[in-house]
Amino acid sequence: MTTIGIPKEIHPGEKRVAATPQTILKLKKLGFDVVVESHAGHGINAIDSEYREAGATVIDGTKELWAASDVIMKVRPPEENKALGVHEADLLKEGATLIGFVWPAQHKDLLNRLAKRKATVFGMDCVPRITRAQKMDTLSAMANIAGYRAIIEAANHFPRFFTGQITAAGKIDPAKVLIIGAGVAGLSAIGAAKGLGAIVRAFDPRSATKDQVASMGAEFLDLDIKEKEEGEGKGGYAKQMSDDFLKAEMALFAAQAMQVDIIVTTALIPGKPAPKLITTGMVESMKPGSVIVDLAAEQGGNCALTEPGKIVHHKGVTIVGYTDLPSRMASMSSQLYGATIVALIADLSKEGILEINLDDEVVRGAIVLHDGKMMWPPPAPATPPTAAPPEPGVPTKSSAAVAAASTKKSGGHGHGESNGINPWVLAFGGLVLFGIGFLVPSEVKAAGGDTLSHLTVFILACFVGFQVVWSVKPALHTPLMSVTNAISGIILVGGMLQLVGTELSVTTILGAIAVLVAAINIAGGFLVTNRMLAMFRK
Amino acid sequence: MNQSLITIAYIAASALFILSLGGLSQQSTARRGNLYGILGMLIALVATVFAMKDGNYAVLAAALIPGLVIGAILAARVQMTSMPELVAMLHSFVGLAAVLVGFATYLGPHKAMSSGEHTLHLVEIFLGVAIGSVTFTGSVIAFLKLRGTIGGKPFMLPGRHLINLIMLIATVALGAAFLMSPDTAAGQWPLIIATVLTGILGVHFIMAIGGADMPVVVSMLNSYSGWAAAAAGFMLGNDLLIITGALVGASGAILSYIMCQGMNRSFVSVMLGGFGTEGGTPSTATGEPQGEVHSVEAAGAAELLLDAKKIIIVPGYGLAVAQAQHSLAEVCKILKEKGVEIKFAIHPVAGRLPGHMNVLLAEANIPYDIVFEMDEVNDDFPTTDVAWVIGANDIVNPSAMDDPGSPIAGMPVLHVWESRTCIVMKRGMASGYAGVDNPLFYKDNTLMLFGDAKKVVDEILTAMRG
Repeated sequence: MTTIGIPKEIHPGEKRVAATPQTILKLKKLGFDVVVESHAGHGINAIDSEYREAGATVIDGTKELWAASDVIMKVRPPEENKALGVHEADLLKEGATLIGFVWPAQHKDLLNRLAKRKATVFGMDCVPRITRAQKMDTLSAMANIAGYRAIIEAANHFPRFFTGQITAAGKIDPAKVLIIGAGVAGLSAIGAAKGLGAIVRAFDPRSATKDQVASMGAEFLDLDIKEKEEGEGKGGYAKQMSDDFLKAEMALFAAQAMQVDIIVTTALIPGKPAPKLITTGMVESMKPGSVIVDLAAEQGGNCALTEPGKIVHHKGVTIVGYTDLPSRMASMSSQLYGATIVALIADLSKEGILEINLDDEVVRGAIVLHDGKMMWPPPAPATPPTAAPPEPGVPTKSSAAVAAASTKKSGGHGHGESNGINPWVLAFGGLVLFGIGFLVPSEVKAAGGDTLSHLTVFILACFVGFQVVWSVKPALHTPLMSVTNAISGIILVGGMLQLVGTELSVTTILGAIAVLVAAINIAGGFLVTNRMLAMFRK
Repeated sequence: MNQSLITIAYIAASALFILSLGGLSQQSTARRGNLYGILGMLIALVATVFAMKDGNYAVLAAALIPGLVIGAILAARVQMTSMPELVAMLHSFVGLAAVLVGFATYLGPHKAMSSGEHTLHLVEIFLGVAIGSVTFTGSVIAFLKLRGTIGGKPFMLPGRHLINLIMLIATVALGAAFLMSPDTAAGQWPLIIATVLTGILGVHFIMAIGGADMPVVVSMLNSYSGWAAAAAGFMLGNDLLIITGALVGASGAILSYIMCQGMNRSFVSVMLGGFGTEGGTPSTATGEPQGEVHSVEAAGAAELLLDAKKIIIVPGYGLAVAQAQHSLAEVCKILKEKGVEIKFAIHPVAGRLPGHMNVLLAEANIPYDIVFEMDEVNDDFPTTDVAWVIGANDIVNPSAMDDPGSPIAGMPVLHVWESRTCIVMKRGMASGYAGVDNPLFYKDNTLMLFGDAKKVVDEILTAMRG
């Protein structure tokens, strides 16, 4: 039978533990033996006897526990145990399995150590963010806690109420809170701040978050730029944006910093240091007493003045750089962490025996080392499920329809997407038309069938024309008209075909004038359309 | 370049044009759609250059290059508010080109063909010239009407339907004479007379259509210019012209139809013209909308707007002529910062082109997700504090709903009067393009704010900042 070991976390300040008595019950039910290091539940006020009652064996002594375990479940990545003078990775039984936060991109040395132990390692931070794996999504669970706690920390350092009040002693303005990044943490922070009565605004480069922000009751801040850039990278994370975008973003933050009392930053880009969004100047422009809570502190911080793990006071502004917000609510986060880890191991095992199926998308994503062999990074995840940018060759309708489904709830125009016809299909239809025109047998043409085939082409083209514009959005009527106008400049071809011979006959002159005016039409039509379209922005 | 390569190029161009039209129906693909169109046109032109047998390239360059330059300059210079005029003018060019191509084909050297083919060819030429001529003069009139050189009111001769019919019959008769002509020297006269006659027909036709229907007319002329190109394709036996012309013709017709639906008017009645005169005369008995007009100053309006929680702005052509959209965007920014909820309500025929308002608001960087179609927003008025009408009249006229005798009865309108307060900005008490008085101005919850839209919006802006 496989034995799962729960060691005590040794990272300074870490109060969480990878299993609570409740999750131990579930592990037992899955058919595992569980051993728990003595005092492992100290940080969550769970005493050894509670673990025993849940069915675990409590082992006194760190080395003994690691030696007895086939599978180790941890929170923090293994690190040097200073008290014992040994690295946790070296304590791991050869060929054993480790499950916990690993952050493989930042911990190459650790992976080498673990590889030497022929370990199999699953990173809870590597679980792909797909629907099926939501129950194992530790990052979301922790981010939820961090977002809530960020507001609590802010309130703790903020010298005023969050809600506005009119009292006999005078009027109190409500606190204004800016949340940067509307991921799980950001949304959770919005909810907490709203709940306390603050005015909340949020910004995120991914436009898909707009509705989510609104649904939490906050105002979504839009950037004042013309070219809309989509901030959604693969796997639903934000990606790095262009210079123009960043410039506009910084201008927005600078303007907001002067207005708001509290800023919570949650901006992270996977595998990169956190982007610096709040400059020293912006901090100094904030009102005295303002608070910044930097949830990205561990990755270097979104604020220039953030010191990871510490609170900084700078010219009246408090900058909270705690990196252990979930750990500050240890019993709750341990419970959630334990539950996600149970969900993962339930997927990985059958009747208490680990079975690793690398064809499973979730397993393939989460596994970092397999019997000491490097498995990270996994093959690239699929493109984000909502509002994928239309790719050439992919029907535009599908992406538009998905976007509509996710963002637009009102019915819209009568002939909305339901009637949208894939232009590529129509283009193919156009080719067929041409085929008819050119493939009519010559003997038919000789018998006056030439005009007949032209007529067939004409009628079919009319049908294509009818179909192609049915789904047009009213806002695009003018550009559409202008582009069809430009296209009708094709009459130019008719003029050109008259320009025959060298001498200036009447025909040539008439043809030349036709070419001239049609050319005005073509250049004017396309350029004006371009000008109009350039102005549309969201 | 041999024939099959040219054919392939033409196929590619047609496919690109179809993609272009398809792309223009969605915001997200619109810009790519325009690029497809440009690409298709380039391919078509280059292929045709190679297709010209014994071509006179010097003349081609002398005509083509200035044309492109002039077009580019026009497009770069035009004010966004003058867009409708430009589009109408460009339509007239296509019509003119079709006429010219028709004449050139007729007067130019002929291939040897059987008598049956010859007759068919002549029919094609005649049709092409006639459609081109109507398109040309009609577009010129539309252009002048949009510019305001000619008044917007429908111009109607007594018995105008009869006149049109007679002209049509005369054109058919001329066509018959044209077909009977023994040679080109004799045949050119019926053709020329027919051109003039159809030209007059175009003038008369468009003159009779009221200003409020201009969006539909422009779109219809767009469709005509397509048919003219298709007719030219028939006479030259060129499938690219036929397909492209048919595409433009059909899509223009659909667009006109969609617009008529937006106004709840039948396509036929728009085409027969005379908006504002058909049906019963405005029934004076059922309450000639007379009464007291309440007016307000810019400062008062600013206060009302600042105090509101929810505002719906209804822009009209007056906003466009006064170029007030940028100042309006500033006002919206201030209001938004104060937490006021702002929506824009766009009537399907607001402005002088469909989508005209959207283009203007987009130019002023007003985000299009707060801009709504009439149907999306009409139920919101009862919960709205201030409905702010800027330079619109007929599209907010309650008599379209209340007064069956009104010339605009049945046309869907924005129910601005259902809001708590309605601020109407206008230059004066003049009636709108349809020439109908508007009882909205006399309602108790309506405040009139007179003056040029740009000037007044600027005053409101100053009052808000102060």
